[in-house]
Amino acid sequence: MPKIDVNEELFFKALGRRYEASELTPLLTTAKAELDDWPKSDGILRIELNDTNRPDLWSTLGLARQLSIFLTGNVPSYPFFSRAGDVKKTGDRRVVVDKGLKDIRPFIGSFVAEGKEVTDALLREIIQSQEKLCGNFGRKRKTIAMGVSRADLVSWPVSYSAADPDTTRFIPLDFEKPLSLRQILTEHPKGREYGHIVSAHARFPLLADGKGEVLTFPPVINSALIGGVKTGDTRLFIDLTGPDLDTILTACAIAACDFADMGFRVQPVAVEYPFDTPYGRTIVTPFYFQKDTVLEVAEASKRLGEEFTADQAAAWIRRMGNTVRVTGSRIIVSPPEYRNDFLHPVDAIEEIMIGRGMDTFSPVMPRDFTVGRVSEAEEYGRRARELMIGLGYQEMIYGYLGARKDIVERMCVDGADAIEIANPMTESFDTVRNSILPNLLASEAESAHAMYPHRIFEIGKTVQRDAKENEGSRTYNSLGFLLADREAGFNEVDAHALALFYYLSLEPSLSSMEDPRFIPGRAAAISVDGRRVGIMGEVHPRVLSNWGIEMPCAAVELRLDLMRGE
Amino acid sequence: MDQSATPRELHPLEVKVLLQYGQGDAIGHARLVADLGYNTGQVNQALSWLSAKGFVAETSRATRVHYEITDFGREALEKGTCEQRIVDLVAADGALPLPDIAKRLGIEAKDVGSAFGALSKDKVLMMDGEKRAILAPGGVETLAPKQLSLRSLLSRASTGPLEESVLSAEEKELAASQAKKRGAAGSLFRLAEREEVTFAMTPAGSAAAMALKKAGATGEEAGALTPEMLKTGSWRTVQFRRYNIDVPPTRVPLGRGNPYCSFLARLKDKLASLGFEEFDGPLVETEFWNGDALFMPQFHSARDIHDVYYIKDPTHAKSIDQPWLDQVAATHEDGWKTGSRGWGYRFDRDFTRRLILRSQGTVLSAKTLTRAKVPGKYFGVVRCFRYDRVDATHLADFYQTEGIVLGEEVNLRTLLGLLKMFAEEVAMAKEVKYVPGFFPFTEPSVEVHIRHPSLGWFELGGSGIFRPEVTEPLGIKVPVLAWGLGIDRMALTSMGLHDIRELFTNSIEDVRSRRIS
Repeated sequence: MPKIDVNEELFFKALGRRYEASELTPLLTTAKAELDDWPKSDGILRIELNDTNRPDLWSTLGLARQLSIFLTGNVPSYPFFSRAGDVKKTGDRRVVVDKGLKDIRPFIGSFVAEGKEVTDALLREIIQSQEKLCGNFGRKRKTIAMGVSRADLVSWPVSYSAADPDTTRFIPLDFEKPLSLRQILTEHPKGREYGHIVSAHARFPLLADGKGEVLTFPPVINSALIGGVKTGDTRLFIDLTGPDLDTILTACAIAACDFADMGFRVQPVAVEYPFDTPYGRTIVTPFYFQKDTVLEVAEASKRLGEEFTADQAAAWIRRMGNTVRVTGSRIIVSPPEYRNDFLHPVDAIEEIMIGRGMDTFSPVMPRDFTVGRVSEAEEYGRRARELMIGLGYQEMIYGYLGARKDIVERMCVDGADAIEIANPMTESFDTVRNSILPNLLASEAESAHAMYPHRIFEIGKTVQRDAKENEGSRTYNSLGFLLADREAGFNEVDAHALALFYYLSLEPSLSSMEDPRFIPGRAAAISVDGRRVGIMGEVHPRVLSNWGIEMPCAAVELRLDLMRGE
Repeated sequence: MDQSATPRELHPLEVKVLLQYGQGDAIGHARLVADLGYNTGQVNQALSWLSAKGFVAETSRATRVHYEITDFGREALEKGTCEQRIVDLVAADGALPLPDIAKRLGIEAKDVGSAFGALSKDKVLMMDGEKRAILAPGGVETLAPKQLSLRSLLSRASTGPLEESVLSAEEKELAASQAKKRGAAGSLFRLAEREEVTFAMTPAGSAAAMALKKAGATGEEAGALTPEMLKTGSWRTVQFRRYNIDVPPTRVPLGRGNPYCSFLARLKDKLASLGFEEFDGPLVETEFWNGDALFMPQFHSARDIHDVYYIKDPTHAKSIDQPWLDQVAATHEDGWKTGSRGWGYRFDRDFTRRLILRSQGTVLSAKTLTRAKVPGKYFGVVRCFRYDRVDATHLADFYQTEGIVLGEEVNLRTLLGLLKMFAEEVAMAKEVKYVPGFFPFTEPSVEVHIRHPSLGWFELGGSGIFRPEVTEPLGIKVPVLAWGLGIDRMALTSMGLHDIRELFTNSIEDVRSRRIS
């Protein structure tokens, strides 16, 4: 969930007055937002946004816009948007796309923002929008990268091309010498961070103006000259690039509305593609591409459990910033320019819920009768648990993800049946446990100071590789127990295991087995009806010494699912 | 001084002392041994307890010397001293070199050497021209009296320490010559010194003795009731000693459920009592069930490599069950028959088989849809894995509690009703607040905040009505409510803990001492 820094001054100016935390908290729920922190000293409110499909709310002005509409009912208009049948004039503001980009990063949205001076506060806003939009919604610039350049220095038309990474050179931001695109990937910090997005391609995306002067190398870094926006600038060129057209048009719309709300005039730019797109070969951006969502009022009533008219529903949906028409029982919703999260009519139903107010819905108890029960595995586990407690064992509970060092190496097993993690965060969590015994021994290793004898058990899950299974492994409900004491031995755990089997109405048979975890000749496989369900034995001193344990241990592990006959 | 001690709580060892002596008697070790038959340990116990209670007071202390027999001394008592054995051997077999004597008697050479030194000094043995030990004239007779005295000392010391005060001057000299204070292993005796303290009865002691006499106490009361007493009926004539019930008993390690497991079991019982049936499933899952079936687009940021744990081998499941795969894929691409526009991208059928560790319990809710009854209520308390740094509020694996409700009457208001029921029944909350929420797979979505008796306001859980893009591809035509509850904060509070890692502690002692409120 993204958190943003909201500039108090800009925010309350946009809302028309100052709000205290107690008023703000309920208001923020209409945008699925929460006040995270408000230190008051630095003029910043920290706000968490919960809706990951509403990146338009991830800026001071975007959030203020939503709240302001809810409070006043006034829906702002953004007349600079083009749409099918209503294409704005762009003059010489054109971006020409190279066909070589088709399989690299083909789409771009762009506009010019002018007529307002960039202040420190606005610059921070612009940088934050860029970070949230590209870092979070744009998956660390993979699907959205945003560049802001100095429009006064740009000669039109701008070309968006697939450039040769070795012969194309320019001075990147924060550097003094020109570097080739390939050098930037290794020498510039942003190149090291984002270069992997394009590095596999033979050519890299590049935005340059009519004179060949570089604006930006998306999604990596701006140029130092045209791309180096400073406070005091009054004309900006904004570009958004990525592999998915709708995503880029949405991001472009969000950025344009934010700049408009900051007080800039937004001037559209014509993007010319050498290939077909769903919206034609030339798209003038910002571009409105949303389709209407059509909702039957009865469908909304059923889902919300409340009767209302189509006109009432339309008013509530409008309160969220949508344009709404009603024809008979049908409600037709045109989402605002900056939103692309209406996938299904149910998305409009939620607008009714919030627009009308969550508080206006009263809880009703569901009346359907259903039979409740815990699972058979749970029932069986509880029987075993009760018996283990009766045998004097303390129940433990452990994490299922552990270290290969503990699960395999310390246990002296080959670990062929253990599931390993391909992308572990640390070595402490790189293997799913295949047995409870390592956890029990870890407990013993940490508990030499605790009064003896130690009798501990856990009922929990273990996972073993199993080529027969569709997922290549099988999860078992298992029981492990361990006895640590001066005289801990096979005889005692054998007696305990047999007591357990007796009361679970099973007749186990023991057969001698060799297992590196146990002392030879003091280990047994336990079978029921010819099927192996568990093992037991005296833990080998080599294993104990691997764990730093100085007390004899004997242990048992059983697969409860197999004992239950699954 | 323990003023509260009453005669009833006195130990028999104390009672006998109080009854035996009066004011003016010198009470000490030797007298208690002689009069009451106590051993040294019992003497020390009785006198230290009585002194602590102020019933006796110290009047003098003196150092007493005594001799204790060593293992070497016991051997000498049994087989004869080294000197005696050497002389006997030489007397029987004639001249012998010292190493031969050592070998034949099995005595260490150095002991033979020092014994020979003493014997030749006493003119019992001498050396001949060939460095062999031979008897000095009259040697045997010279040795005899000393050996007799030694035997007598050894034999008396073998039954108990030999008080120096009872020895004659010659005996004292002899014992001293054969004793050492430390390192006495090669000597016949160990010299021991003991502080002997003498006590006198105090007025409080006399008063206690009076009370004892009045109560008819003898110090001979029985300790334990034995099967023999019951068999013979002797218990009828026996008086049982009263125990001091304030003495702390020994600690018992008992068999016991883990409080967190008990908490989870109670939670499951509660949900079952509310009409929910439990579901469960494997820890290793596919991207299909973990995300795709929940209509989370495959390019969703939450599905990036660093948010889930990928399985190293095998990397992919063999297959995904049909018709779910085709229907879910179509829904992602263009909405299929659900009325949705879909996510508008090409569904990746390789990626969907990728094996991972389940990252959310909702996976099992989705799987349950394929076999669910209508109406139906299901829940799971299941382990999930998160790609998080482990700290006081995050674990690599942890429990999620969630479930679904299927039925024609599922709507926003019954969802609120259900949340209210959870708040009241599971969290014992009196006040409930609902706010709009967001989950990728529900629409609308609602968070429930509650006022918990000890935690104050907090978010109990999230819920919503599954999107048609989730339910319809899995064959469900009725609305489905999905809910999840955050129960770990309540679990921690009920155990007085603050760090989520403590729920899964390895420490046996921590778990043994933990209680649940």
